[in-house]
Amino acid sequence: MKTHKVEQLVIATVGFFWCFLMWFSTAAFSPSIANHYNLSLAALGLLASSAIWMAPIGRIVAGWAADRFGAPRTFATILAVCGLVSIASAYTTDYDILFIERVIVAIAGVSFVVGIQHVAQWFEPDEIGTAEGLYAGTGNVGAGVGALLLPRIFGLDYQAAFLWLGVIALGIAAWYLLRGEAAKHEKVRATARQSADFRGTVFVWTRYIAIALMLAYAMSFGLEIAMNAWLPGYFTRGFHEAILALGFTSIAGVQIAAGTFAAVQSFTASLFRPFSGFMSDLFQRRGWTPLPMIARTLPYAPRLHWLAISLLLITLSMVAFTVAGLMNSLPLSVMVLVAFGIFVSFGTGGTFALVPLLFPDRPGVAAGFIGGVSTAGGIVYPLVFAHVGNIHMGYLYIALFMFIPFTLFYFWAARYEHHPEDHGIGENWLKPRGETVVEKA
Amino acid sequence: MHGNDTQVKSHEPWYKYGVAFMFFEMFIAIAVSAYSLYMAFHGLGGFPGKH
Repeated sequence: MKTHKVEQLVIATVGFFWCFLMWFSTAAFSPSIANHYNLSLAALGLLASSAIWMAPIGRIVAGWAADRFGAPRTFATILAVCGLVSIASAYTTDYDILFIERVIVAIAGVSFVVGIQHVAQWFEPDEIGTAEGLYAGTGNVGAGVGALLLPRIFGLDYQAAFLWLGVIALGIAAWYLLRGEAAKHEKVRATARQSADFRGTVFVWTRYIAIALMLAYAMSFGLEIAMNAWLPGYFTRGFHEAILALGFTSIAGVQIAAGTFAAVQSFTASLFRPFSGFMSDLFQRRGWTPLPMIARTLPYAPRLHWLAISLLLITLSMVAFTVAGLMNSLPLSVMVLVAFGIFVSFGTGGTFALVPLLFPDRPGVAAGFIGGVSTAGGIVYPLVFAHVGNIHMGYLYIALFMFIPFTLFYFWAARYEHHPEDHGIGENWLKPRGETVVEKA
Repeated sequence: MHGNDTQVKSHEPWYKYGVAFMFFEMFIAIAVSAYSLYMAFHGLGGFPGKH
């Protein structure tokens, strides 16, 4: 089959966009579902949290499957299963069954790592940042588009939305199978297939640099999804008087205003992500390595420096967010939030501009570990925010007690000037036989 | 700098279109955010309006 890497990028991006649309479609219609089934607030919270349940483990399995079976088969299977269950959920009348079906549809969120693996198998090291950024950033917008457009297109008729989302998912699954190619060269494909064994998987999980990248992604994407869930409530409670003063006096009005401020983070974090990949490529091309401690002679060293800068900016913006909140300044908080969303995108884009270069033989396994475990941040951070006495202080506590140690660990793990991907727990006996290293770059 | 990856070489033709699309996305992000915040700070709701 004659194809081009841009076609593969488009297929992966469309598939991922649609998966994200399905992933967050339950949240978009949660008021309708709650109204239809008379759900309590606790049940509504459970429904809202269901989207993240499958992500940590599911992404690990999906990443391994992409290396083992190839991205087209894995992605098509995810699309087909989620599409069929989405269609079934359109005809369900029992809430318990509907809840289980929507948890299964939420598996669509694991597709991220499959597309990352697919793009990594096609693009060259000097353009991987932009390619992965375009894939992930454009696909991520599916969440925002779903929240924005689905209720406006389908109104309260969530069954029709679930039906159409499922039918189109089946169409994209067929397209992926027909036109998708796992890798640019059979040799690359064969290497990934052979490396997806248990020993190789444990090897990746125990590398210090893989753990550091996982923490970096927890600081960026984990924080992004945590803030998606947390910020509407934060603005409603933390700036209630200021929002009332703007003229939003009804409960619905306050929700819209708080949701609007919160959406700024989600939107900028998604749409600036390709820019971060581009910046990673630019650092690489110009050879910029401005930070102390971090390796400077590795083939991808400038990308390590770009990600480190991103982590520092995220930490600083968390501190600034607390300061703006304590000053009780709504405009300043929103301004900081815009910068915060951009810095988060720097972290997400910067991380996955590195992953395929650090683990070229097993990009799926690495993406599954780094992109999967890190999503637990989406659960942990809101718990911390909710258990701090002052609603504005949670960001500062996370910055001081989690992000500074995470960043220091990253600096420590990225200091090796010779194959950082070889350093880890049990490095002498875990190193897979016949391991190839990054000289491919 | 060392390593092949840092050698400056010309990109393939697709790259400029990819970067152009990237800037288009950033423009949308800035425009929607600015419009949405303008609406909210004037008590008019968020994008695309109504409250």
